[in-house]
Formats: sequence, structure tokens, C-alpha cells
Amino acid sequence: MAKKIEITNNIRKLRFFANEMTQQQLAEKAGASRQTIMAIEAGKYSPSLELAFRIADAFGVKIGEVFDYEVKGD
Amino acid sequence: MSYQEKKTIVSILTGILLLVVYCIYAFSKAQSGIVASDDMKFWATTILIFIGIGVVASIVIQIVFHILLSIAIAVKEQVRNGKCNDKEIEKTLELEMVEDEMDKLIGLKAMRIGFAIAGIGFIAALVSLVLNFSPAVMLNIIFFSFSIGLMMEGVTQLYFYRRGVRNG
Repeated sequence: MAKKIEITNNIRKLRFFANEMTQQQLAEKAGASRQTIMAIEAGKYSPSLELAFRIADAFGVKIGEVFDYEVKGD
Repeated sequence: MSYQEKKTIVSILTGILLLVVYCIYAFSKAQSGIVASDDMKFWATTILIFIGIGVVASIVIQIVFHILLSIAIAVKEQVRNGKCNDKEIEKTLELEMVEDEMDKLIGLKAMRIGFAIAGIGFIAALVSLVLNFSPAVMLNIIFFSFSIGLMMEGVTQLYFYRRGVRNG
């Protein structure tokens, strides 16, 4: 059986280094709602690949710098 | 609380209000003996009228909700900046109303729950006929199951907005 993975993110850190970008500003840049950005940041929602790329693009970094994963139950 | 959550709460309250008004109107008429409890024409007409009222009421209530939301945004702007600008209010409303992939996913998951409840209601309605209940009972079970299904769809949406949702 495939192992469970948990997607983690560095959005809070990246927002801080992007001159304390607000969630609303990031939402506008990524074409999502603030609610969705909040949920992603809190780990309550795993975005689609397309939105993940758009978020990375909003910070001007590679997708791997925004999202990572942890294998659960090892 | 986000715009989508507020909108869902308004929809749920509208649904509850309509169901209460339907119960008071239809069952008081049936109990007073003005119409026979198995008068199918009365029940069908009442349900049709209430479906119409439901559609109109939800449109009107959503319009009132948007007006109140605009006023709330204007008041917030006034308190924060000491002035309120029409363009600012419009922009804030537009940003609040954005519907993205998470809203669509939550909508789909909630719809599945709504359909399941409506389906269970339909089966229950058929069972009621098999058990020799009046066709009026069957009609009411179908009406209630669809109404409750719609409300549960809203409740499920609220649950997913609070708890979060995962793909797959």
C-alpha cells in the first residue's frame, strides 16, 4: 500500500521575506481567494498543481521551495 | 468569517424559514379539515407554490445580503480610514466574491451529501407507499428530503470551510 504523505509549505516564511506580503496580496497574484491561501498556509487544503505553480510564481521561486512533503507513519 | 461561509449560512437560514412556513401553512390547513389529508391536488399545488416562493425568496435574500455586506464594508472603511470610497467598496466586494478551486471542490463534496439525502428520502417515500401510507405522505417525504438535502449541503460546506478539505 502506498505510504501516506503530508504536504507542507513555506508560504508564511516566503511572505515574510517578500516584504511581509499579505495573504490578500498573494491571493490576488495567484488568482485565488484569501480563504484558500489561508487554508493552504494552515495545511488544511492541498492546492492543485496549477495553483501551486501560480503561488510559486507569485514569489518568483521554484515550486519545491514553496511546497514539500513528509512521509507519514515511517 | 469568509464571504462564502456567510452566503452559505444565509442560504441555510432561508431554507429553514421556508420549511417552517410550509409546515405551519400546509399542516394547519390539513389538520383544520379545510382540505382532506389525502387531497393530492392540494399537496401538489402547495409544494409547487412553495418551490416558487423558495426560488424568489432566495434571490431576494441574496440581494439583501449583498446590500448589507456592502454597508458593512463601507462602515468598516469609514471606521478605519475616516472615509469610504465607492471604488474601494466595489474592489473589496469583488475580492471577497472570488470563487476558486477550493470553493468548487467543497461545493462538489457537499452536493454529494445533498444528493445522498435526497436519494434516501426518495427510497423512504417509495417504502411509505409499499407500507400503505397515503400518497400525500410520500409527496411530503420527497419534498422534505430534498429540502433537508439542500440544507445539509450547506452545513457540509460550512464543515469543510472550517475543517479544511483534501483532494481525492
